[in-house]
Amino acid sequence: METLWSVRRPVRDLRPGDHAWLAYSGEDEQRHIAGAFVRDGLLAHDKVVYLTGSARDAVPGLTPDLPAHLLTVLAAEPPGGERLDPRAAAAMLAAELTRARRAGFRAVRLAADLTWALGGAGGLDPLLDLERRLDRAVAPSTSVTALCQVDRRRGRPADLAAMRAAHAVHATPDPEFEDSVLCVVRTFQPAGLALSGELDASRHAILDQALAAASAATAGDVHLDLAGLGFIDLGAINILADAAARHAGRGRIVLDRIPAQLRAVLETVGWHMLPGLSLSGPNLT
Amino acid sequence: MTLEHRAFMYSGPEDFLAVTVPFLESGLESGQAVVAVAREPNLTALRDTFAGHGTAIEYFDSAAFYRHPVRTLRDYQAIVKRSEPRSVCALAEPVWGRWDERQTLEWIRYESLINVVFAGSGARALCPYDTATLPDDVLAEARRTHPLLLTDGRDLINGRYVDPAVFGAGCDRAWRAGRPEGAEYLPIDGADLHALRSFVAERAAEHGLGRQPAQNLVTAVNEVAANALQHGVPPRGLWTWRDGDDLLCEVGDNGFWRPGPFTGFIPPDSALQQGFGLWTVRLLVDLVELKAGWDGTFVRLHTRR
Repeated sequence: METLWSVRRPVRDLRPGDHAWLAYSGEDEQRHIAGAFVRDGLLAHDKVVYLTGSARDAVPGLTPDLPAHLLTVLAAEPPGGERLDPRAAAAMLAAELTRARRAGFRAVRLAADLTWALGGAGGLDPLLDLERRLDRAVAPSTSVTALCQVDRRRGRPADLAAMRAAHAVHATPDPEFEDSVLCVVRTFQPAGLALSGELDASRHAILDQALAAASAATAGDVHLDLAGLGFIDLGAINILADAAARHAGRGRIVLDRIPAQLRAVLETVGWHMLPGLSLSGPNLT
Repeated sequence: MTLEHRAFMYSGPEDFLAVTVPFLESGLESGQAVVAVAREPNLTALRDTFAGHGTAIEYFDSAAFYRHPVRTLRDYQAIVKRSEPRSVCALAEPVWGRWDERQTLEWIRYESLINVVFAGSGARALCPYDTATLPDDVLAEARRTHPLLLTDGRDLINGRYVDPAVFGAGCDRAWRAGRPEGAEYLPIDGADLHALRSFVAERAAEHGLGRQPAQNLVTAVNEVAANALQHGVPPRGLWTWRDGDDLLCEVGDNGFWRPGPFTGFIPPDSALQQGFGLWTVRLLVDLVELKAGWDGTFVRLHTRR
């Protein structure tokens, strides 16, 4: 089940048989991605099974007036710091899946926050064992979609890489906006937006809205990843400058990975015309 | 603070130094930010003369500083801004031998625009004209674009000076005859300008423009077309054709938005100001011509390969 390849898929596009991975860098990101996974399931009246360390852990994406039978929270952390028992945890999940099928659910979403198990007794092995069991249960399924998450700040890089390699699908945020011309996706580390495609007058309102939301959600600098941007018109540059003026006092707007030809357009204008905007990161040619 | 914009006619290096050195000294003495933009060998002669002043004077070679009139205005404006609250004392010797007739007209217009762009800057600018090498028409036009003339060490109010708005309107009348028969046409009829950008990018590649000039041209045409969509009246369209090394892109609409003689020439304070778009269009291509008439409004962009 270890794969050298993986697909990146917005969380809304995850489908039965997907066993997806998310290493989040903060509650914001977890709420945005895992929260969407849980919420979309609940809104579709699918069964959502949420596996976590302790029953006291918050579940992201809960909807108001939630019918109780839609959500089951399972606490899997063994009391007293014992070693994670992958067989027992997998059996607990299998029992839930069976119950859901018997209850007539069309689809089941299984979300697991495994952060608690990263530093557990026995090291990574029991966790990888659990992942293998999960994969065997989910991959052939036509009704179960799984999303495994950990807080990347709590794991060692080698452990995170091993966990990541155990998933063929990597969950990405749902785009804030996407059509055939432009795609806008929130980013979390660093905080900001990734813009790809082409930005012209027909998408100015969308850019303006997305920047306002990113600015409101970000205490420091707002980063814009422009690696996938093929064109930016002068009106959009004006909107970036306007957003920088409105964000001033809290931070700058930093343009990351801007393609060389777009950077040259900005340099022709001159940075003194664009207060509050700055460049960082390696530039693509 | 008003601008002092002076021309002086010189003949030979001694004559040049006899006027420019006291001018730069007066700038240093009065605490102005002093810049010297001159052609060689004049530039080296000035550096030698002021060798004892260290970095008090900022030097630029005219050959690099005067490449594109609107970019040169931008660069002078940047110097004025970063020197604040000090005012600027600039020796400013343009380059004249490199341009064709239309480009020369644009540089003469540039001298006239200096009076508008830096009107309130308190700057003092001295523009030397070499009577030994410059053609008579350049010398004659200098008298129409500089309000002050330094003659025999004395400032004279220049009676032949022409108001920049009048001067600029005269330049706009230099619009040359219509498009050739073979010009390609693309209607601009939807809000989506993607097809227009592809069209221009293809013509740019066929003409042999480099990647960056091509990207600049696409950005400029896109902006003019977006303006035509927002402010113009249908039918709107883009014509492209080649004229020697120039690729021409002309956006026309049936409206009449009457650009003024300063439209797009005055650097905005920032990207947030109105006028940023057309000013940037002028920066991105080699030459922009505007024409508003009974048959509509036309913006013609020249890019040389």
